[in-house]
Amino acid sequence: MDEALFLSGLLAAGIRLATPIALAAIGETISQRAGVINVGIEGIMLVGAFVAVLVTVSSGSPWAGLAAAILSGAAMGAIHAVFTVRLKAEQIVSGIALLFLGIGLSGYGFRLTLAQGGTAVQVPGFRELDLFGLAGVPIVGPILFGQHALIYLAVIGAALLAFMLSSTRLGLMIKAAGDYPQALDAAGGAVDRVRFLCVMASGAFAAAGGAFLSTAQLWGFVENMTAGRGFLAISCVVFARWNPLGAIVAALGFGIADALQIRMQAGYPGVPYQFFVIAPYVVAIVSLALASRGSRMPAALGTAFSPQR
Amino acid sequence: MTDRSDIARQAVIAAACIVALVVGAILLAGANPLSVAIGIGERALFTRSGFLEAVLRSIPLTILGLGIALAFRARVFNIGMDGQLIAGSVVAMALAPLVPLDAFGLLLLLSGGIVGGAAWGGIAGVIKGRFGGNEIIATIMLNYVALQILSWLVRGPMQETMRIIPRSDPLDAALRLPILFEATRIHAGLLIALAAVVAVAILARRSRYGFKLAVVGANAHAARYAGIDPRWIAGSVLTLSGALAGLAGAVEITGIYGRLQEGFAPGFGITAIAVALVARLNPLLVPVSALGFSLLYAGLGTLARNGVVPFPIINILEGAIIFVFLAGSVYVAHRAKRGQAETADG
Repeated sequence: MDEALFLSGLLAAGIRLATPIALAAIGETISQRAGVINVGIEGIMLVGAFVAVLVTVSSGSPWAGLAAAILSGAAMGAIHAVFTVRLKAEQIVSGIALLFLGIGLSGYGFRLTLAQGGTAVQVPGFRELDLFGLAGVPIVGPILFGQHALIYLAVIGAALLAFMLSSTRLGLMIKAAGDYPQALDAAGGAVDRVRFLCVMASGAFAAAGGAFLSTAQLWGFVENMTAGRGFLAISCVVFARWNPLGAIVAALGFGIADALQIRMQAGYPGVPYQFFVIAPYVVAIVSLALASRGSRMPAALGTAFSPQR
Repeated sequence: MTDRSDIARQAVIAAACIVALVVGAILLAGANPLSVAIGIGERALFTRSGFLEAVLRSIPLTILGLGIALAFRARVFNIGMDGQLIAGSVVAMALAPLVPLDAFGLLLLLSGGIVGGAAWGGIAGVIKGRFGGNEIIATIMLNYVALQILSWLVRGPMQETMRIIPRSDPLDAALRLPILFEATRIHAGLLIALAAVVAVAILARRSRYGFKLAVVGANAHAARYAGIDPRWIAGSVLTLSGALAGLAGAVEITGIYGRLQEGFAPGFGITAIAVALVARLNPLLVPVSALGFSLLYAGLGTLARNGVVPFPIINILEGAIIFVFLAGSVYVAHRAKRGQAETADG
């Protein structure tokens, strides 16, 4: 029974810790399927986390905070899209610039606003739901019925997205934009418009991930609080072979590794805590080595599209 | 072609929007952008301490920028130089009790830094070269690991004898880089940085290896037909740029700090990316670019300390500078009358 309770708590916490990564990974999957790498989502997550807290505090509603974060993320995505899709600049370099911009804007905004008060601001963040009143059921309750609303939305969103990619006209256009843009262009599809929207979507999802981090998982903003989650999200996309549902599973792996290391810190006080903190990163490095071989990425990923006339 | 000049026009608009973003951010802080710009210039160029601080900072930024330039030439994106710098510093510091207390010992420390950085970069090199894993993710993950290991070392096995502050014991004076100019902190690392510029410039522009880097960077697929293995190039250049990062770490330790502690060289590896990009990956321009960014830092740092603008403005500026630089190269490429034909992988 104790083991079951431990595992249940571990899984429930793992799901919570995985959600910011999963949301960002869903967005990155869309963008990469359309052929654009966005290595700046770490920066977008930070902006989303900051904006969510700022608007939640001033409006009193975490949903307003989430909406504002999503808008700011889409705007950040639009910057990347202008440079990579319209101007056809190097995607990685633009993404790195976006990363700097996101670190800067979130830290700068934070010091101008929330950090001014001196004392920690109260954030009326998201609370866990109690679906059907079943959250209290032992073992499965906290996992299935006692999570944040955003978590259910993320799973539904990923499922819809997987369906959209595999079975709809829009999905086909997105995949064509990433795999063989010339064909999409020849068939009359607007490659650049599809890519532009997908990059904006990646920004919106990343910012939603940041908002979850700062208004659901934690209630507050700290500079650089994402601590590499944006990059973990990118690695989830690769591990999942560009499948949105797979990306959620990969993110869950990181979330559980994180939940486990937090519990082990308490369980083994003799071992320096730093060795536990590095666990998710080491998992990422090892799986990067194991999972990258033979991965089939979108063929035109990272390359700008120019119609041959 | 109208399409071409259209892109050039959009590049100008995009750059203008980015500049407007920076100006807007400064206005939001209630500061006057013009007086901020003047303040930066005055402090950095016309005060002795500001200028010396900038020169001092440009030493590690030059060495790091060279490493970035080498790797980016092959389109290998090493964004983990901060971790490699830490690895180099740790190895240099760990050697300190074992080496003779003279110039030879100092040389051993610097070599240790190079080896440590190369090893840390080499891990990413193996992941990229042997397994085809993405180097951006590998290097950034290794950053976080290095930071945590450093945090443990300065509280555990490498902590000072007094065991009060999380830092190591100081280096013996004989193992410190000599000061070059009386009454300044400018140390012999300046000469090391300049020597590195020459060495990397020769490697990048005159050697077979440098040529291979350029070929892989231009077209990895074509490189394979020329008998160049892009994976080997990627693995080796990650090791090489890691070696430079490790050297930068050892120079900072032996030149400025004299001991191991957390938070030295903060974010230098990231700034070095901006340094190398603005230098157009040209090793000879890297020191110029590094000094430029250092002057910016010195000037902004003072303004931030005086509460004129919050410090993260520096990150906003770094991002903005890269974006404007990107827009500039797009503008030039599309404005050129006899530019190359547009290619799908432009």
